Amino acid sequence: MDLVAGGRLGLRDRIRQLDPILMACVVSLTAIGLLSIYSATHQSLRTLDLDPGFYLRRQAAFIAVGLVVVVVLASLDFRFLRIYAPVVYGISVLLLLLVATPLGTEVAGSQRWFQLLGYQFQPSEFAKVALMLMLAAFLSDLRGREPTLGEIGRACGLTALPAALVFLQPDLGTAIVLAAILVGVLVVAAARPRHLGILFVSALVFFVGALQIGLIREYQVSRLTSFLDPESDPLRSGYNREQAEIAIGAGGLFGRGYLQGSQTNLDFVPEQHTDFVFTVVGEEFGFVGAAVLLGVLLTLIWRAFRIARGAPDLFGSYVAAAIGTYLGLQAFVNVGMTVGIMPITGIPLPFVSYGGTALLVNSCLVGILISINRRGVA
Amino acid sequence: MNLRRADERVRFLGLIAVGLFSILGLRLWFLQVLTDDAARAAARDNAIRVLPIAAPRGRILDVDGEVLVDNRGSLQVMVDRQQLGGDAERVLLELSQVLGVDATELGIRLQDPAYYAFAPVPIAEDVTPEQAYWIEERGPLLPGVEVVSMPIRRYRPTPIGGAVAPHVVGYLGQVSPEQLADPAFIDYRAGDEVGQSGVEATYERDLRGREGYVSVRVDARGRTIEPIGRREPVPGADIRLTIDADVQIAAQDALRFGIEHARTVYDPNTLKNLKATGGAAIVIDPTTGAIRALASFPTYDPAAFTRPIPSRRFDEEFGEGAEYPLLNRGLQGQYPPASTFKPWILLSALTRDVVDISRGYECPPYWSVPGDTRIFRNWTSEDRGTMTLATALSESCDTVFYPMGYEYWRFYYPPPWLDGVEGNDDEPPIEPLQRDLRGSGFGERTGVDLPSELPGRIPDAVWKRSIHERLPEQFPYGDWVPGDFVNMSIGQGDTLTTPLQMAVAYAALQNGGRLCRPHVVASVQRASGRILRQTEPRCRTRLPFSRDDLSYVRDSLEQTVRAGTAAAAFSGFPFDRVWVSGKTGTAQVFGSQDYSWFAAMTRYGGRSAVVVVLVEQGGHGSTTAAPIARRIIEAIYGLALTAYTDVAGTD
Repeated sequence: MDLVAGGRLGLRDRIRQLDPILMACVVSLTAIGLLSIYSATHQSLRTLDLDPGFYLRRQAAFIAVGLVVVVVLASLDFRFLRIYAPVVYGISVLLLLLVATPLGTEVAGSQRWFQLLGYQFQPSEFAKVALMLMLAAFLSDLRGREPTLGEIGRACGLTALPAALVFLQPDLGTAIVLAAILVGVLVVAAARPRHLGILFVSALVFFVGALQIGLIREYQVSRLTSFLDPESDPLRSGYNREQAEIAIGAGGLFGRGYLQGSQTNLDFVPEQHTDFVFTVVGEEFGFVGAAVLLGVLLTLIWRAFRIARGAPDLFGSYVAAAIGTYLGLQAFVNVGMTVGIMPITGIPLPFVSYGGTALLVNSCLVGILISINRRGVA
Repeated sequence: MNLRRADERVRFLGLIAVGLFSILGLRLWFLQVLTDDAARAAARDNAIRVLPIAAPRGRILDVDGEVLVDNRGSLQVMVDRQQLGGDAERVLLELSQVLGVDATELGIRLQDPAYYAFAPVPIAEDVTPEQAYWIEERGPLLPGVEVVSMPIRRYRPTPIGGAVAPHVVGYLGQVSPEQLADPAFIDYRAGDEVGQSGVEATYERDLRGREGYVSVRVDARGRTIEPIGRREPVPGADIRLTIDADVQIAAQDALRFGIEHARTVYDPNTLKNLKATGGAAIVIDPTTGAIRALASFPTYDPAAFTRPIPSRRFDEEFGEGAEYPLLNRGLQGQYPPASTFKPWILLSALTRDVVDISRGYECPPYWSVPGDTRIFRNWTSEDRGTMTLATALSESCDTVFYPMGYEYWRFYYPPPWLDGVEGNDDEPPIEPLQRDLRGSGFGERTGVDLPSELPGRIPDAVWKRSIHERLPEQFPYGDWVPGDFVNMSIGQGDTLTTPLQMAVAYAALQNGGRLCRPHVVASVQRASGRILRQTEPRCRTRLPFSRDDLSYVRDSLEQTVRAGTAAAAFSGFPFDRVWVSGKTGTAQVFGSQDYSWFAAMTRYGGRSAVVVVLVEQGGHGSTTAAPIARRIIEAIYGLALTAYTDVAGTD
């Protein structure tokens, strides 16, 4: 198939362009999300005599908005994004600076939100997309050449600026995600393993140094490491983790049935409709349900990487790879924290967790993926 | 693996993803399939904690089972001060915007010292569902803020607004620190609602019910893990009142409109309109003592007490300037009984042979104690000539009663200069009048099942001496003199009664001489209607008067409404259908306008009712109280209501 020659497309080709497997994954994930959000919230809303479907309807509204975003971005030519990548990047850095001013809102000691018309907006979410585009644009300029150490350094600089601002909010989790996006793109952009090694060592040195001079605070580290020994942190994250694990453990092989989980129904798992939504599936649908959910997530990531391999140019390839890395990392860190093998960082499960900002960002990513796929060669 | 080619490198990332997800899968297998039981066992090892489940408070019904007070859910905003931390200012500002309450006020509510530092503090009641959604939605932005549904009282409104019988049902308020310190309130916690007045207070134990609980396992932090046991709460019992909502509403309306009308009436003594600052109306069943209506004016909204009211605002809304609307004037107001007292004076005088029904008595314009120059006037300056005792009652001739009072002095306090005998100071004088009045229920609490009843006062020589010694400023004279008896004979002087005592006394007069203990509660019952406890009428005490004397006085009072002092107020009344007899009273109170009394006995078919109305500073009994009583009587027996018009003052 040669798009440049302007050949007419058959229906099957048109459908293939939209990557039906990818779409099926996203639809299943949002559907699982809606079911789980309802299960996690209906009981506590009912005790207040409030509409038990409140969160369900809100999330459905977010999904509708997300769908529009997907359609708009999918119908754009993704190569525009390469041209505007520096602008998008600049805006995201500006927003991160603004949120640190009194325009932003501080919650529980962390300044990361804008409030607009009753909605909250986190510029750090937007920064993730901007960074992916910026890194892909920068590295694709090398035309497949192995980046030199200096170029890797510049890529690090591009990442460090938003990462530092996010880190100062302080939001260590998102800063680490930004760093992971860098690593993912560098791997695809043919960075030498040796250079990556150097990067890793210097990051470690920086981290230890930052800890020594008090830039990273003790509690941030203890939060990240408490999952190794929950007894050592009886204050907060250990509790969430333990409750999540009990919920998942109570699910057994086949689960306790939809809306039947006592941990879920009785509100024992905190933030269950957002960060800990995986525990609903784990408790109510058991190992089988959880495994299916993991399978769908993995398929989604597979499609992203597949699009990366078939992208028409290096920029598209890098962007798709970054998206795959990002989604995979989010899914792994989120599920990992609910099953107690990763620290608790407040990273939502893509397309499943309740929340408008994350859903919008992920919709952008899917839209971009389809846009790349439409012009792809695979 | 060759990582030179881009798609190989992507595949490498893909393999990492598969590897990481495999780890997740293995971990899940381990948690969900292999250590399933271990996880549950670990949960069971945690401590057990008991969490309360509130019992719904019992309802308050009228005599026909009509609901006067029940419960409804109210959304409340609770704030945990510990979780709020450094965000307090911002969170309060945001809540202030959405709740429409000043942030400073929210701050004051939040600092309520009645709550423990770790207990959530309610800062807003009855928020709308929209406000609740808003707060729930922004959960993460509002640390420590929670919306909970709490039951609160709902009061049946009357057609013209205001609650039905607020002074009978009473109001709930948060348990006070003093109550919490009282062992009787051992099972109450700060923030609990408790009946503070009315039936809500006297029947608190029945209405409250028994709290249930869930026992749950908690972890080391005391956070809930799983429920293990449960005891259902026992809902509070319903209270069925003797109050008849229709009669009660009629009494409230009649009292209010009568008082409003009185304020348009000119008072020639003070050259101003009547102030009519407040009043009471009581309807009581003379055969049982069951109170069918108990109205007090001004009235109040019992729903206003969901949160503690700051003392300054309390004074404004419930203090002197507002004429104390919380006061239940029917049993907490003490007034000189004036002429409504005369039947009892006459009954005592007949019993003690001070007077004789076969004789005629002079009714001159004024009278003086023999050998004294002080003049006691009749209410009219006309000379009414000679009359029977019956006419003296229905026309309320004061100058017939003054000599009766004096006779008590003459018989029982022989002045030393008359027969040269020194009075024995150690032995209290025999006081037959006071004894007869107390035997009729005056000067003592009736024992009604409502809180804070006052006893009234029947003065005597011992009391007068002791009050003079205690409060020489207000009571400059300590000696019992003939004038005391003379004043007492027309219900003035230091005599005080409550409207309820008056109602109970007239009920005894109507029922043939039995003093019934008045009550407002008919039964304590389950929501199903099963009766747990019933108030049995207690009418064992007999009046210290003979049946003949009682009938004579009762029949004499028939003339009051037909030809006597209340004839104008009852003009056009269908006496052929409803039997009415009664007595007006116009009490003089030093420094204020006259107080207006009317007491009526009524009967129609098999039903009977005693109606007593008092209006403070309402002028003559015939002017204000009698017309109000007439409206109430008309409502009781389903007659057409007459409008309020000006009635000339008699007594």
